[in-house]
Amino acid sequence: MWRRREFLRTLGLTGAGALAGAVLRVPSAWAKTPVEPELIVRNTWPEHWETTLEALGREYFTSNERFFVRSHFPVPELNPTTWRLEVTGLVERPLSLSLAELKKAPQVDAVHVLECAGNGRGLFQLPNTAGTQWERGAVGNARWSGPLLSTLLYHADLMPEAKHVWFEAADRAPLPGVPPFVRSIPIEKALGDTMLALRMNGSALPRLHGAPARIVVPNWYGMASTKWVTGIRVEATPSDNHWFARGYRYVYPGEDPASAPPVQEMKVKSVITWPLEGVRLPGGGVHFAGFAWGGSSGVKLVELSIDEGQSWRPVFLAQETSRSAWRDWSLDLPVPSHQRMSAMVRAIDGNGQQQPLAARANASGYANNSIHRVSFRVD
Amino acid sequence: MWTRRAWVALLLAGVVAAAAWSAGDSGALRREVYPAQFPAGDGKALADRYCQICHAASLVTQQAKDSTGWEKTLAQMEKWGIEPTPAEHDSLRSYLLSHYGPRAR
Repeated sequence: MWRRREFLRTLGLTGAGALAGAVLRVPSAWAKTPVEPELIVRNTWPEHWETTLEALGREYFTSNERFFVRSHFPVPELNPTTWRLEVTGLVERPLSLSLAELKKAPQVDAVHVLECAGNGRGLFQLPNTAGTQWERGAVGNARWSGPLLSTLLYHADLMPEAKHVWFEAADRAPLPGVPPFVRSIPIEKALGDTMLALRMNGSALPRLHGAPARIVVPNWYGMASTKWVTGIRVEATPSDNHWFARGYRYVYPGEDPASAPPVQEMKVKSVITWPLEGVRLPGGGVHFAGFAWGGSSGVKLVELSIDEGQSWRPVFLAQETSRSAWRDWSLDLPVPSHQRMSAMVRAIDGNGQQQPLAARANASGYANNSIHRVSFRVD
Repeated sequence: MWTRRAWVALLLAGVVAAAAWSAGDSGALRREVYPAQFPAGDGKALADRYCQICHAASLVTQQAKDSTGWEKTLAQMEKWGIEPTPAEHDSLRSYLLSHYGPRAR
């Protein structure tokens, strides 16, 4: 039975050299960063770069170089030796911490999936659509290291009125009238598994991913995980910022964005990373593989169908690394030769929520967790 | 006995097979690359001038909106700081609508 990684290794096609890449030219105000060959450039600047399913499927930990990038504004130049993190607001003891001081705080090491809230927007095929038309690769799984946010908040000593934690960042739009990106999370989530990441997959946090420090809010869509964070402000109310009060809401026709439910926890989802769409495979059998992830209840079951959803069979699901990490799934099946085939995969979370065949589209195209289907040919 | 020509032919066949595999493997995944330039036409200069203050053209060239949608977008951008004249506003909206109107269902 042919496995994709083995085939590519045989041909010497694994690694970044497998595909042709390009260095994009962007205005001088923006970071002149070479784009990795396995990132699909959905927008050149700000960086909206999506990982190919091929690259995602190659490794359990998505490498820093191939991890999807979503920036709202130009990447700020921050000097790690002078950068400081301010902890202010409803705290008895405001803090101003250097990177060196944060490194001395107790560190945690945790595996979390980050998925862009707009991942899959392009697959909704909305007649009216704003924003980047992501398909399936605005997601990645990494090992993050740094202090828990709760460590800093306990040290700052929260006042009883403390209910929400706002995150301020260094990035700014070129037009001064554009509001900065200031989001908040409830205090319960801030005191739980939310962390201040200083490292990503064992290396210092890369600049494109928020260096020197970013917030990581496990099990929530990526907009909550503020990059280039400079301030942690404790407040009694949620953020009143445009990107929180009006942006990132599940708005359906006729609804007011300000009263629509906010985008928060990730919905259960799975992808097929092998076979890829349109490939031709030798006869005999097929190795199916991919990842599944979801919200705080985790992934309970993943099922595969090769008859257009008439019947489903459970796949092998690798052990859970952590509730907020994705899980490898795989299944080897004998299949008849000389035919075109398709496969569909669906995941079910710990609450029994199942991926829909076609998720209900909201106006902004958030959280598309529709079932993934691929077609391929067996020789 | 393998001749040099046979070895070269075998090597070339391998390279072609590898390239075919690689293209088939990744080509479909790279189908969506949006134009990085606005198309020629009345309004291009305005789109170049105003839209690309904050983002590349490709953020626009992948979108689809009806007249109301583009009007809302322009109103938002004007609130945030771009300053087209009323005539430029109308010209820009028409240009965006003609090139990036709503998708057919």
